[in-house]
Amino acid sequence: MDVDAVVFGTGLSESVTAAALSKAGFSIAHIDANTYYGGDDTSLTLDELVQWADQRASAPRDNQSTYISAQRKKYTSISRSSELVPQSRQYSLSLAPTIIPSIGPLIDSLVASGVSRYGGFKLMERLGMFDRPGVVRSVPSSKEDVFKSKELSLVDKRRLMRFLVFAAGEFESATELKGKENVPFFNFLRDVFSLDERTARSVAYGLAFCVSAQDPTLSALQRLRRYSKSVGRYGPSAFLVGHYGGIGEVAQGFCRTSAVSGGTYVLGRRLLSVSSLKSEDNSPSGRKYVIELEDFPDQLACDLIISSPDYISTELFAHASAVMTSTPSLLGTPSEPYPVARCIAIIDRPIRFCAEASATRAAANADAPSGEQVLPEKIATGEVDTAFLVFSPSSVPSGSTTAAVHMLVTGEGSMSAPSGKWIVYISRPLLGDDEYSSSAEELMRPYLDATLSLTTSASDVAGASPAQPLFTLFYIQQLPPSPASTDATSTTLVTPPATSLISELADAATEQAEKIFWRAAELLNASRKSEDAKKVEVESFWPPLDVIEDEPNLEEW
Amino acid sequence: MTDAASGAAERSVQVKLVLLGEAAVGKSSVVLRFVSDEFQANKEPTIGAAFLTQKCRLEDRVLRYEIWDTAGQERFHSLAPMYYRNAQAAVVVYDVTKATSLEKAKTWVKELQRQANPNIVIALVGNKVDLVQPSQPSSDSVAVDAEDEADDATATPGENAGSTSGEAESLRQVPREEAEAYAQEAGLLFFETSAKTGEGIVEVFTEIAKKIPIDQILASTRGNAGRGGAAGGRAGAGQEGGVNLQENTNKARDACSC
Ligand SMILES: Nc1nc2c(ncn2[C@@H]2O[C@H](COP(=O)(O)OP(=O)(O)OP(=O)(O)O)[C@@H](O)[C@H]2O)c(=O)[nH]1
Ligand SMILES: [Mg+2]
Repeated sequence: MDVDAVVFGTGLSESVTAAALSKAGFSIAHIDANTYYGGDDTSLTLDELVQWADQRASAPRDNQSTYISAQRKKYTSISRSSELVPQSRQYSLSLAPTIIPSIGPLIDSLVASGVSRYGGFKLMERLGMFDRPGVVRSVPSSKEDVFKSKELSLVDKRRLMRFLVFAAGEFESATELKGKENVPFFNFLRDVFSLDERTARSVAYGLAFCVSAQDPTLSALQRLRRYSKSVGRYGPSAFLVGHYGGIGEVAQGFCRTSAVSGGTYVLGRRLLSVSSLKSEDNSPSGRKYVIELEDFPDQLACDLIISSPDYISTELFAHASAVMTSTPSLLGTPSEPYPVARCIAIIDRPIRFCAEASATRAAANADAPSGEQVLPEKIATGEVDTAFLVFSPSSVPSGSTTAAVHMLVTGEGSMSAPSGKWIVYISRPLLGDDEYSSSAEELMRPYLDATLSLTTSASDVAGASPAQPLFTLFYIQQLPPSPASTDATSTTLVTPPATSLISELADAATEQAEKIFWRAAELLNASRKSEDAKKVEVESFWPPLDVIEDEPNLEEW
Repeated sequence: MTDAASGAAERSVQVKLVLLGEAAVGKSSVVLRFVSDEFQANKEPTIGAAFLTQKCRLEDRVLRYEIWDTAGQERFHSLAPMYYRNAQAAVVVYDVTKATSLEKAKTWVKELQRQANPNIVIALVGNKVDLVQPSQPSSDSVAVDAEDEADDATATPGENAGSTSGEAESLRQVPREEAEAYAQEAGLLFFETSAKTGEGIVEVFTEIAKKIPIDQILASTRGNAGRGGAAGGRAGAGQEGGVNLQENTNKARDACSC
């Protein structure tokens, strides 16, 4: 088989690239070593997740594929509960829990490519900050919130308001920012806007999703502005969560579009060899690479390889080039990727986001006879189906003192769990320090416990015990190696993760895909030297959707 | 405020449906008949997959079928799992004039029962009954496609044949009773259809629609959206769990005749 490009890995970035290349008119073969789509971004059924974990946790075997060796290095300290949970196939568990800002490259691409028609999204219901066991604080993000807030003094309200107006504007040229682009955001909030400690924490961790007090000001401001602009596009929240486990499903959608445009898909095949043909005369097809897959009828010949780092052997790495999103982009300056300790848990009682006020009221009620526990309007149940929680540094005993930790819960409403079950994802950035000596489970347990404390609402009978998870998986996701070279002429393009931040992942992957797409189009057209090989004219990342695709019925024939 | 919140999709239930089956059994033709009420005598093999939508009215409800028509000749069997994974319905098609196509259909059914959503509604569809009906002379144009069919897609034997009634009968390789018995045993809906004449096509989709647990789907997409919780209060009535990303989806779409 002879194609323009072979893409290894079906993670979001590679899948978006594959779709864009196919739609532009390049021929591609898209390969994944797994039998499922999505790579490190995939969503799996519970049985599949267990298999996934066990395969990576088991002792290395001889003759292991490059991919599996790379995966075993990437996913470490894996431990899971062993009890079986029924209804495995009704769960879609994500390896890359993500919240997607309503405005940004991914949403743009979903709409422009037509992939948005293939999948569904749910609006985030709630966003809060962990306060103490059982209590979640909401984050004042709009003028109305600030105005209504009972926690803030009048002076603080005025200061916060002033900051929010600043952050919504064209701050890049503002005098307040000049020379302070890289100072820690936290200091900036305190020193320039005189926000008190508590408010500064809310803004830095709860609105801009800083992961540490050291995060630089400019990128935090850029995120904050984008998130606040996202509010109202699809509803009251800035963020969306994909149905069926999130970006794994989104990645599949892009693969589908690629297939509809003629992309060839090969899954579950091990990559045996990639040989690069120095002289094109050696190659019967005139292509640069010949690729062999296990149990695959013919060789794949191509001019360009685009690959997630896990498929690249040491030899190939030497002349591979990383396509990074390190240059300032639409998204602003990306935050450096970091390793993440993760916990995935399944629970059978809802998490409640009980605000301070109702919790205090309920605390007063706790002593009262149980008949009085129904609070006015029942607002205080605070049950969430799909919600996001920030643990700021030092907010949990024996948790991190330097890193903010993020918790995403998704339930039936996002089609990711059966009725009455919820999936909890906790992500803890590992920013160095001594954290590396601890196991994933040790790192995550305090946060899981804190999350579970939210399953007993303050209005419960005092002493009600928190939910016990039906399933838990802990692991650490390390960073993959990244080629040192960024040589623009290399025809092996590698896609290292551009960020680890839960709210930026999807957009960063899409931006990376766009960069790769343009680079790939250029390289492929350059390799079409002979007269009979017509160059593919590429005008935009996504060609306009065929009018026919917008017609009521006939979308693709 | 947002187009999505006021979207016309509000009351329609989205049903993801996938078509599976051997190459050239008529999957694309069945969909084309359902969606556009057309037939193309020399339909080209599907490459990769195709995506179509069609609304279907059922009593007071509107179903919006999102149809994934897969390629029977897909060589690596890599795409299909992606399509049926979260599908609520599957139509497994075979060709009544080709016994091996029923065998292929059975392997699809097995795979679906093993891997797909456990509540998936599966319909087994024996297509091209026009070729085995004495009263239905097959047109010349049908004969053309035998040549057009690609590599591994074997030509339908009947298509080159003339159409006297005796010959037509003898073209049938899969007796209706046999397939029906299998369908019953495996818990499938069963139909015989002709994409060419339109016979039985709409029924496939209406009968599936009747078996889809619509209320359950509605509950799961809508159910939790209202839980605004303490700060936000209840979400607006128009807001459902699902968000439609396209701003321009409010166009009226014709409901099918069913
Ligand atoms: N006589 C007759 N011919 C049919 C019928 N349905 C489809 N055909 C013909 O059979 C051939 C194959 O039909 P397709 O709809 O392309 O088959 P398919 O299952 O989509 O094939 P792949 O896309 O390759 O998997 C075409 O030439 C059709 O015209 C039918 O009901 N009767
Ligand atoms: Mg077809």
